[in-house]
Amino acid sequence: MPQSFRLAPLVVTALVAAQGCAPERVAAPSADSAAAATIRAGLLTAATPVAGGAEPVAPTGTGWAGLTGRFTFAGAAGDPKPLVVDKDTEVCTAGGRKLYDRSLLVDPATKGVANVVVFARKTSRVKNPVPEATVLFDQKNCEFLTPVVAARVGQVIEVKNSDPVGHNTNIANTSFNQLIAASASTPYKADTETAVPTVVTCNVHPWMKAYAVFRKDGYVAVSAADGSFTIADLPAGEPIEFQVWHERGPSNGAVSLAKPDLKWTPKGRFTLTLEADEVRDLGTLEIPAAALGG
Amino acid sequence: MNRQPILPPTLVLVVVTVSLAASGCGRTPAASFRPNLVAASRTVEPDAEAEKPWREWAGNRQRQVATILEAMFGTPDDPVVLPETGLDPAKIQLAAGPVRSDIAGRKNGLYREHCAHCHGITGDGMGPTAAFLNPYPRDYRPGKFKFKSTWRDAKPTHADLVTILNNGIVGTSMPSFALLSPAQVDALAEYVKYLAIRGETELALYTHIEQELEAQDSLPEDRGFLVDEILAPVAAKWQAVAEPSAQIPVAAVPAGIDFALGGDHPTNKESVEKGRKLFLGDGGCVKCHGPTALGDGQANDYDDWNKLVVEARKEVGGGLETAHGVSTSAMSPEDLAEHKARLEWLETRTRVLDGDALKPRTIPPRNLRLGLYRGGRRPLDIYRRLYTGINGAPMPGVGPSAPGGKGTVPDEDIWHIVNYVLSLPYDVDGELGADRAMAAKDRF
Repeated sequence: MPQSFRLAPLVVTALVAAQGCAPERVAAPSADSAAAATIRAGLLTAATPVAGGAEPVAPTGTGWAGLTGRFTFAGAAGDPKPLVVDKDTEVCTAGGRKLYDRSLLVDPATKGVANVVVFARKTSRVKNPVPEATVLFDQKNCEFLTPVVAARVGQVIEVKNSDPVGHNTNIANTSFNQLIAASASTPYKADTETAVPTVVTCNVHPWMKAYAVFRKDGYVAVSAADGSFTIADLPAGEPIEFQVWHERGPSNGAVSLAKPDLKWTPKGRFTLTLEADEVRDLGTLEIPAAALGG
Repeated sequence: MNRQPILPPTLVLVVVTVSLAASGCGRTPAASFRPNLVAASRTVEPDAEAEKPWREWAGNRQRQVATILEAMFGTPDDPVVLPETGLDPAKIQLAAGPVRSDIAGRKNGLYREHCAHCHGITGDGMGPTAAFLNPYPRDYRPGKFKFKSTWRDAKPTHADLVTILNNGIVGTSMPSFALLSPAQVDALAEYVKYLAIRGETELALYTHIEQELEAQDSLPEDRGFLVDEILAPVAAKWQAVAEPSAQIPVAAVPAGIDFALGGDHPTNKESVEKGRKLFLGDGGCVKCHGPTALGDGQANDYDDWNKLVVEARKEVGGGLETAHGVSTSAMSPEDLAEHKARLEWLETRTRVLDGDALKPRTIPPRNLRLGLYRGGRRPLDIYRRLYTGINGAPMPGVGPSAPGGKGTVPDEDIWHIVNYVLSLPYDVDGELGADRAMAAKDRF
């Protein structure tokens, strides 16, 4: 066999390699068609009761209870970073005012962490009807005055603009992205729950950022400047799963603390059954610096 | 004996090379839907509690989602239409599959003939031509559409989709399909809904995984979960827009406006002036479209589709930086294994963002002096854009956010802004823009 013949496969391989194909994409798992057919048969034949949706939790108690606690920060929070303000500076940074990143607010005196959100994921009973009172969600000097706004589904939020310039308030994953004229306000009523707080922005002033959380049962609290929170009128006698969220929490804002007695999960959840008329105090809940990315 | 080979070696080489080049890279496999890997890869964060190694359980989970989706929606060549979707299987049949004629001589496979090269087989807006287009083709999977007659976060009506197919989207690569028969356009609109419902169902499954499942769990595969809990809420939104109340109300055009006469006609003068005041004042249009309406205001924002990729890149980049900064020397074997799994997860996500998402682009506010209106140039079209804003884009609405609400600009006054906006392309020596030469970069 001539020498060149023996080289042929090598040359061909080199040519193919040099030619290259489209940039390699991550291999996608393919479906198991046989299993798919079995599942489909179940979907097409089995009749289910019309009720639909997730099954409601059956009430197992009668009384009401509360939950309280206080989040503190273990470590130094560092100085907040100033934000780049390059629009409407005559209003936003009037008199040399500066705006700062508020994603982690730690009270120097008490070490309390503000704006930690605690809410019940599912409850069987609700004590109070949706309040008539509106929730004020204001913005001034190109900053949302409430970093995390919490409301019940169906409760009216008054989205206000106290600035002499227009803002738009864009609540992600909702129907609300309205222009709010100078010194005006527009009402908004959430019609669905948010699984985790959803981001609120102003597209005109890109540094503006807040979060909104809407719950059907209203069992939600946002920690105050000293880190304290209280949820009142929770249904007693049933296991309630609570979710803890903070803007800086990794993976969907989950805050997970090493609390073996509470079986705190990596998704930032723990389950408690409260006694009637009890106000369960979780005490001081220290968040390690690493849990909030710094 | 010194025999000549049957074929000279050089010829063999040439033939092999040519045939390789002709065959391209590999054979064409059967068309398949590609999983939404950007969303999927997010949901498989390594978990120290997992019983199996990361690669195995992450792969199993993604395979299960693909299997469930095939059960519910079939494949591109063999679609399944569950009755709960509310879709018409005959229309889906006409649009799906490879291009061919049926026994009656009707053209089948319309989506692949007309749409797939830009919008992709999966409707992910990532067809072969997508990367070269600006703006990028729509990704149907989040079920968000811009140009429609309904409330901001509501679905478009069937008629809204048909309108876009018939008219195309001026100023973009989306052509008009008015040369197709009404039945064919109808089938394509239905197929767009099918791909959107499929994509939204997939996203709903990932949301469920993220919210409810631990690493060792798998998704339920029964009807109660897949149809009642996952598919029904998605389909309900598409069915809700069949009601007339799903459309935003349209106020009567106030006296003193005659759109047929043009903005510079004396009849319209007062209205155009009112519109101009609203544009610069309460309407807030000036903030992004600029005082000259050239689209030169706040201009470095992203739409929802691109923002998702920008945010994911930031998240993954930050995660990688943290992971690389960790010292591994003192780690226990378990911690080291978890650390490695985390790195592999983040690196996979980076590759997914490179291969399964287009390079993010900002969305410039429209230059209103060009006279190009993507959602249609009828006064009614512009009224709708102003009323609810543009879903998925930063553009906010000046009308109420929900039926019975209160807007920033009263409904009938929105017509004055419409009048002003329509006058802008013909504004020869108007006060706006006259003092400022239009730079080439502002034209787009």
